[in-house]
Amino acid sequence: MRTATRRRLAAAAASIAALAALVVLLFPLYAVVVASFETNSQLFGASQYSFFPSVWTLSNYTTVLSQQGSHVLSSLIIGAGTTAATLAIALPAAHALARYRFRATALLVGSLLVAQILPSIVIANSLFLIYHQLGLLNSYLGLIIADASYAIPFGILVLRAFMLGLPGDVIAAARVDGASEWQAFCRVVLPMSRSAIITVALFAFLNGWGDFIFALTLLNGNTFEPVTLSIYTYLGEFSQNWGEAMALAVFAVLPAAMLLIAAQRYIAAGLTVGSVKG
Amino acid sequence: MSVVAGSARRAARRPAGPAAAPRHRPRLRRAARWAFLLPAGGYVLFAFAIPIAYNLVLSFEQTSPATISHLTAPFAGLSNYTATLTNPVADSAIVRTFSFTAASLLFQFLIGFALALLFNLRFPLRRFARSLILVPWLLPLLVTGTMFKFLFQLQGGAVNQILIDLHLIRQPIGYELSPGWAYVTVLITNIWIGVPFFTVLLYSALQDVPAELLEAARIDGAGPWQRLTRVTLPVIRPVIEVVFILGFVFTVKVFDVVIGLTQGGPANSTQLIATWAYNLTFQDFDFGAGAALNTVLLLIALFAAPLYIWLNRQTLRGESP
Repeated sequence: MRTATRRRLAAAAASIAALAALVVLLFPLYAVVVASFETNSQLFGASQYSFFPSVWTLSNYTTVLSQQGSHVLSSLIIGAGTTAATLAIALPAAHALARYRFRATALLVGSLLVAQILPSIVIANSLFLIYHQLGLLNSYLGLIIADASYAIPFGILVLRAFMLGLPGDVIAAARVDGASEWQAFCRVVLPMSRSAIITVALFAFLNGWGDFIFALTLLNGNTFEPVTLSIYTYLGEFSQNWGEAMALAVFAVLPAAMLLIAAQRYIAAGLTVGSVKG
Repeated sequence: MSVVAGSARRAARRPAGPAAAPRHRPRLRRAARWAFLLPAGGYVLFAFAIPIAYNLVLSFEQTSPATISHLTAPFAGLSNYTATLTNPVADSAIVRTFSFTAASLLFQFLIGFALALLFNLRFPLRRFARSLILVPWLLPLLVTGTMFKFLFQLQGGAVNQILIDLHLIRQPIGYELSPGWAYVTVLITNIWIGVPFFTVLLYSALQDVPAELLEAARIDGAGPWQRLTRVTLPVIRPVIEVVFILGFVFTVKVFDVVIGLTQGGPANSTQLIATWAYNLTFQDFDFGAGAALNTVLLLIALFAAPLYIWLNRQTLRGESP
């Protein structure tokens, strides 16, 4: 009896601690969502911060929806393009590295691990000059190639780790039945790898969607610009347009929030598989 | 037995074919295997190998705004390195990158581990809380930087308001104006971003600690603290190593957060290597100097590479995790 009460008390204490941690961790998001419904005069240079404002407005959203639609679209194109490029390049490579024994396998996997480590700014510096020569500056193609530079090594390693666990017999059986290596890959390996593919696709999308460093360095803003770059320009040296910046930030956060609700287990899987076991 | 079975399987895999086939088929098959790797190989060459090599070349060249339209510039010897590394801003950025990384990792680990231990207890809302805690890790980094810039405003900022309401301060603090405070805000923001990562990985490691082991220690009279330090920590040590190495790799290249929050200011007091290299290259258009500093950043990041590869040694050998 007494131990049961104690256990219940401990569980209650843990719940309260967890809620407190969540309040601290998630308060910044709450503040942004609230701020997106406030005017600039409420937000910038105000004498007091109000946790729950008395006046709410939709004007930031109407402005953002009318002015920023093309930027949201650009971010979607970049996210989708990064996902497509990552899957197209990583899937066959992961299959080959999982199924065949190359003499160079350890070397190839090792260089992918190193590729994951390389800082983006180093790549951006060189790519700017290379793209300048190739005419790839201010292009979706150029930006997507750069944006995939994290997702592709990550994708190959995660997918390969998953494919190593697939039953080899099933693939061998397909080959005996006359399927080519490519057909076996498409009809057997891909369907069996569904969950790992979803994980990699999610991370590739979030990487492309959330990229800032390559957009900042490889675009001049005259052709198209993603949401991250617009938020940055909203708060430049000469403007402090907080209301609209916060409304746009809410849009920028939406994909992550939606994916977290719809595909949480794939995200958690990507975190653990990609780093501990990848 | 197994040898027979193996050869039988091999025979089955290669049914009767023309006698000439074995001569060219293996080569064809090998070519087909490499074809799967071709797109990835091309990508690695274009997006990693060439830019890294080119960065190295650039760092030894005398670049100027006029040389941007050419791929090469006159040879400059070591002058980019000497000029960049004797610059006080660059030096302090290098030192700051190390202190920033060390402080980030320390707090991310302490908070992340505390939360992992908390989630390891049984209580209602556990799953719900564990999924929500992922949020900071998934947001675009620039958005996070901007968000905290808003919270740390001087006038009408939430952080100042909370501290005033708690009677911890009387006057609002100008976080953006003071070098020390600006550094602290960037640090807090970066810790906030990394905590979910530490929590999730350490939590999954805690789940794998055998309950019998903890029970045995308890029966032997070990208290909670002893069970933690003598049983749990040694068991999850491999994961702690991985988390620290990955955390190091993520943190030495921090860029978006600084640009979103302080842009390296005030008076370069929050410049890290990556942001200062960006300034050299894209603000001053001194690609050679930027490349020299990038090489330094690269060397620091690559310092973690042997450890990272060693921790992944199973993967290299092709064993299923």
